[in-house]
Amino acid sequence: MNPSMRALIGFGIMAVLLAGVGHYQSWNVMLAIFNLCLISAVMALGVNIQWGYAGLFNVGIMGFAALGGVAAMLTSRAPVSTAWAAGGSNLLIAGAVTLGVIAAAWQLSKWRGRAWVKTVAMLIVVLGGYVLIRQFYDPAVLAIEADNPAKSGFLGGLGLPIIFSWAVGGVFAAIIAWLIGKVALGLRSDYLAIATLGISEILIAVMKNEDWLTRGVKNVTGLQRPVPYELNLQESPRFIEWVEWFYAGSLAGLEGATRSQMLRELTVEGSSLFVKLCYGGLFLAVLLIVLILCVLALASPWGRMVRAIRDNEVSAAAMGKNVTRRHLQIFVLGSAVVGIAGAMLTTLDGQFTPGTYQPLRYTFLIWVMVIVGGSGNNLGSVLGAFIIWFVWIEAEPAGNWLMGIATASMEEGDWLRRHLLDSAQHMRFLIMGVIMLVVMRFSPGGILPERTARS
Amino acid sequence: MIDFLNALTLFANFVLIPGLTYGSQLALGALGITLLYGILRFANFAHGDTMAFGTMVTILATWWLQGTGVSIAPLPTALLALPIGVAATAIFALATDRLVYRHYREVKAPPIRLVMASVGVMFVMNGIVRFIIGPNDQSFMDGERFIVKARAFKNATGLNEGLAIKSSQMLTVVMAMVLVALLFWFLNRTRTGKSMRAFSDNEDLALLSGISPQKVVTVTWILAAGLATIAGVLYGLDKSFKPFTYFQLLLPMFAAAIVGGVGHPVGAILGGFVVAFSEVAVTYAYKKFITYLVPVDYAPEGLMQLLSTDYKFAVSFIILVVVLLVRPTGLLKGKVI
Amino acid sequence: MKKLLLASTILAGMTTAAFADGHEVKMGVILGFTGPIESLTPDMASAAELAMKETAGKVLDGKTIVAVRADSTCTDAAAATAAAEKLITSDGVVGIMGADCSGVTTAIANNVGVPNGVVMVSPSATSPALTTIEDKGFFFRTAPSDARQGQVLADILKDKGITKVAVTFTNNDYGKGLADSFATAFKAAGGEIAISAAHEDGKADYSAEVGALSAAGAEHLAVFGYVDQGGKGIIQTSLDTGAFDKFILADGMIGESLIKAIGADLNGTIGTLPGSDSAGAAKFKEVATAGGLKKNDGPFMPESYDAAALMILAMQAAGSTDRAAIQGKIMDVANAPGEKILPGELAKALEILKSGGQVDYEGASNVTLTDVGEAAGSYKELEVKDGKFETIKIR
Repeated sequence: MNPSMRALIGFGIMAVLLAGVGHYQSWNVMLAIFNLCLISAVMALGVNIQWGYAGLFNVGIMGFAALGGVAAMLTSRAPVSTAWAAGGSNLLIAGAVTLGVIAAAWQLSKWRGRAWVKTVAMLIVVLGGYVLIRQFYDPAVLAIEADNPAKSGFLGGLGLPIIFSWAVGGVFAAIIAWLIGKVALGLRSDYLAIATLGISEILIAVMKNEDWLTRGVKNVTGLQRPVPYELNLQESPRFIEWVEWFYAGSLAGLEGATRSQMLRELTVEGSSLFVKLCYGGLFLAVLLIVLILCVLALASPWGRMVRAIRDNEVSAAAMGKNVTRRHLQIFVLGSAVVGIAGAMLTTLDGQFTPGTYQPLRYTFLIWVMVIVGGSGNNLGSVLGAFIIWFVWIEAEPAGNWLMGIATASMEEGDWLRRHLLDSAQHMRFLIMGVIMLVVMRFSPGGILPERTARS
Repeated sequence: MIDFLNALTLFANFVLIPGLTYGSQLALGALGITLLYGILRFANFAHGDTMAFGTMVTILATWWLQGTGVSIAPLPTALLALPIGVAATAIFALATDRLVYRHYREVKAPPIRLVMASVGVMFVMNGIVRFIIGPNDQSFMDGERFIVKARAFKNATGLNEGLAIKSSQMLTVVMAMVLVALLFWFLNRTRTGKSMRAFSDNEDLALLSGISPQKVVTVTWILAAGLATIAGVLYGLDKSFKPFTYFQLLLPMFAAAIVGGVGHPVGAILGGFVVAFSEVAVTYAYKKFITYLVPVDYAPEGLMQLLSTDYKFAVSFIILVVVLLVRPTGLLKGKVI
Repeated sequence: MKKLLLASTILAGMTTAAFADGHEVKMGVILGFTGPIESLTPDMASAAELAMKETAGKVLDGKTIVAVRADSTCTDAAAATAAAEKLITSDGVVGIMGADCSGVTTAIANNVGVPNGVVMVSPSATSPALTTIEDKGFFFRTAPSDARQGQVLADILKDKGITKVAVTFTNNDYGKGLADSFATAFKAAGGEIAISAAHEDGKADYSAEVGALSAAGAEHLAVFGYVDQGGKGIIQTSLDTGAFDKFILADGMIGESLIKAIGADLNGTIGTLPGSDSAGAAKFKEVATAGGLKKNDGPFMPESYDAAALMILAMQAAGSTDRAAIQGKIMDVANAPGEKILPGELAKALEILKSGGQVDYEGASNVTLTDVGEAAGSYKELEVKDGKFETIKIR
C-alpha cells in the first residue's frame, strides 16, 4: 500500500474512533481526549527527532516535560513580593557565588600545572564554594519558605500571560538538554538511556524539594488560562445568546421553565465544549507548526545528513560530518519540543504538581507512541500519539467492561471475582506492553514506516 | 573511650549494617544486569520487574507452605519457597527470550532495539504482577526477626547507643556471599561458565570454537532470573514487597552495574556497595556521631548532613553521572561502550 | 460537522437525562486505583459502595445508586481530568465521590467538576489550599483541612510538656502541608523542631531517613504519613534500630493494622484523628464487617462511606437527581438540626427525609461541614494503651 494511503487510512480510523467516543460517550470526553492527543503528538515529535532522526535513546522525557511545566508556572505566576523581600537578596548573592565558583573551577580546569596541585586546588574551590554558597542559600530558603507557607512560601514567577511560557518551556528544556548532552552524548546508546533516566529523576527530585522555587509537593494550583473560564461564559449574556442561536432548533418547541432548564444545561455543556475547542485550536496550531518544521527539516540536506549519521556513524564521520555536534544539536532540539509540550500540558491542567511526574506515564508511554506510530516518520509519530493516548484512556473502561463480562457468571462474594474486578485497572500496563512488543516484532517500522529515497 | 565505642556503635547501627544489607541486595540485582549485558549485550529494563515477579511467586508459594503448616523456624518459610520462585522466574525469562528477544538476535538488530523490547517486557510484567498479587505491600517475613535487639544490646553493654541486627540482614549478607562465591566458581571453573565468559569477551571467536550460543543464552537467563529472584526475596524479607518499589530499584541497580563497570561481575558487587553506602553515608546526619568524638565545647550546632534525605534517591544517579564523566568504563574496567 | 457535533451533544444530554429516570442512578467514584496510594483506594471505594448498597432500592421511591469507578491515578492530572470528564459527560453521574489526592482533586474540581456543576465530595484531600479554591459551592470534603490538625497536635504536645520533636512527613502535599502547619503552631507555642525531613512512600528502606532523624537529638518522632506506606516503615525502622520509641501520629497513621504490625512497642504513642466520638466509627466497623468488606478500618474508609452517604441523603432531601438540587442540600443533611444518623442507619434517614423531616448526618467520621463545605475538624486525641488506640479527649 502506498504510504500516503496508509497515513490517510490511519488518521481516518482515528477520526472514526474519536467520533465514536463523541457519539457514544460524549463530545466533551472526545475533545478532552483529542486535546491530550495533540499535546502527546507534540511530545512524540520531540522524541522522534531524537530517536527517529538520530537514533538517540533518550529516556528522560519526563524531566523535559517537567521543565516545561516549571516554565509554565514560573512565567504565569505573579511574583510574591514578600518572599522576595524576605530572602531575595541572600538568594541572589548565593546565585552570584555559585556562578563565581563555577567560573573559578572552569578557569582552574584549564590551568596547566602539576596534577596533584590542581586536584587539591579544585577540591578547595569546590568544597569551599559549596560551604560559602550554603551560607547565603540556607537562610534565604528558610526565609522564603516561612513566608505564608500554607498558601505561598515561594518566590512566585514573572506574572506574564501563560501562553509565553510555551516558548520559555522550550528554552528551559533546551538549556538543560545542552548540559546533559555535553556530559552524556559521548557515550553509547545504552548509557545515554540510563543516564537520561537518572537525570530526569534528579530533575524531578529538585522540583519536589526546592520549595522556594516551585513550591515543591505543595503544588501550585489555579494557574491562569489562555482561554476563557467556563463559569464566566455561563454567566456572560453574550455567550448565552450565542448558545440560544446555535441550539435554536432544539429549543424551538420548548417553553417557560422547561426551556430555561434546557437552556441552562446547554449553556453549561456548550461552555465546556467551547473552552476545549479554544485549547484544541491553540494546541493544533503548535502541533502544525512543529510538524511542518519537522517535515521541512527532515527533507532538507540537514535531514539527510543526520540520517546518514544515524545509519552509519563511522562513514559519516569519514565524510567530514561532525557527529557529536549534530547529536548535541538534535538532542537539544528534540528536548526543546518536549519542553514546549510539557508547558502546554501544565497549562491545560491549570496546575503544576511535581509529584505527578512518573516515568511510566511521561517517558515510556511517549516512547510507545513513537514506536507504534513509526520512528523516523513525523506523521507516524503524530498518529502513534493519537492511537496510544486513545488506548491509554479507553483501556480502563474497556478493561472494566471485559472483567465485568468475564466475571458475570461468578457469584457476588466470590474472592476471584472481586480480585479480578479490583485488578481491572492494571490491564493498562499489560495492554501497552503487548501493543509495543507486537508492533516492534511484526511491524518494526511502526504503522507508518520511515520513507527513504530508496523505497 | 566509652564515647568512642558509642560513636562506633552509632555508625554501625545507622550506616554500616543498613549499607551492607542494601549493598548486598543491590549487588545481586546488578550481577544479573551485568551478566545479561555481557552475554546478550543489552541493558535489561525489565530487571526490576523480573525481581518483582520472582518475589511474587515466592510469596505465593510461601503462603501455600504456611497454609500446609510447613515451617523451618527460626528461618523464614520463604527460603523454602525460594526454589519454586527461581524456577518459575527462569521459565518466564526463557519464555520472554523465546517470544521476544530471540527474534532480534536472529535479525542482528542493534542493541537499542533489545533495550526497547525490554521496556515492552517491563510493561507486561508490571501488569502481570499487579494483576496477580495486587499493588499492595506484602510482608512475608516469619520466624525470628532479630539476632541482636537494640535495647538488649544497650542493657548488655551499658552503652548509650543500641545496635540492632535483624536476622533478615544477616541472612542477606550470608546468602549474597554464598551466591557470589558459587557464581564465580561457576564462571571460572565449569565448562559452561568458561564458554559464557568466552562468549562475552568475543562472540565471533566463541562461536568459531564451537560454543553453542543457545546454551549460553539459556544459562544466562536462568542465572539472571535466579539472581533477580533471590535479590528480590531478600529485599522483600528485609523490608517488604511492593511492585512499585521493585520497579524503582531498577535505577540504583543500573547505577551499581555501571559504576562497577558493565559486564564485569566483580564490578557489579563493588558498584552495589558503592551505591548503597553513598546513599546512606551522604544523607546521614553526623551531628550525634561527631558530638561523641569531640570535646563538649566543639559539639556541632547543625545537623552535619551533606545532603538532605530528600535527595537520597538522587545520590545513586549523581554518582552515576560523575562516573560517566570521569571514567565511563566504570571503576573496574568494564565493557568499553 | 459542527452541527452534527452539537446535535449529538444534545442527544447525549437527553440520554443522560433519560438514564436518571430509570431505577439506577449513577454516582462517580474517582480514586487513585493505580499509582502511589493504590493500596488504600480499593477499600475506600468499597466503603463508599457500601453506603450505596445499604440504600439500594430505597432512594427516591425505589431507586438504586450504582457506583461507576474511575481511576484518578492520584498523580496524573490529565488522566484524572479525562476520567472525570467521562464520568460526568458520558456516564452522566449525579455526583462524584472523590477525588483522593489533593493535586488531582484540584484539577478535577477546577477543570471538570465546577464548570459542569457537579457536586464533588472528597474523602481524603486534606490540603489547606482546597479551602480557598473557587468551587462555587460544588466542592465538599469529609476530611478536614490539615491546617487545623497541625494546631491540635501542637496543643497536645504543649499540654504534655514535650518541647522538642523530630518530624518526618510523607513527601506530598498532605504530608508537607501538615508538617508546615504543625511547625508554625508548635513554634508559636514555644516548641522546637529538631529536624523536619521528608520520606517518600513506597521505598521500603528508611534507614537513612531514620538515621538523620535520630541524629538531631529529639526524643519524640512525629510521623505524618500513611499507615501502610512509608509511615509504617519509618516506625518499624525506628524501633528496630532503637532510634525512637515515642511517636506522635497524625490521622493518616492511625489504624489497627499499625498496631498489628508493630505490636506492644507502640504503647504510649500519641495520635490525632478527625472525629468527636467513636460511636460512629465503631458502628462503621460493624457495618463494614457485616457488609463483607476486606477491611473495616483503613485510612479514609469512614470518610469515603460518609462522602457517598452525604450525596445519597442530599438526593433524597432534594427529591430529585438534579445535580444542582443535590448541591443545595448537602449542607442541610450534614449539619444540625435534625436527627443524628450513624452508619448503618441510612435507610432510617431516607425515611425521615421522605416524610419531610430533617437529619443531621454524623456518619462514621462525625461529619459537620463548615461554611466552605469541609469537615469542621474536631479531633480525637488518642493514645495507645495495651495495644489499642484509646480516645483521651476531644479537641
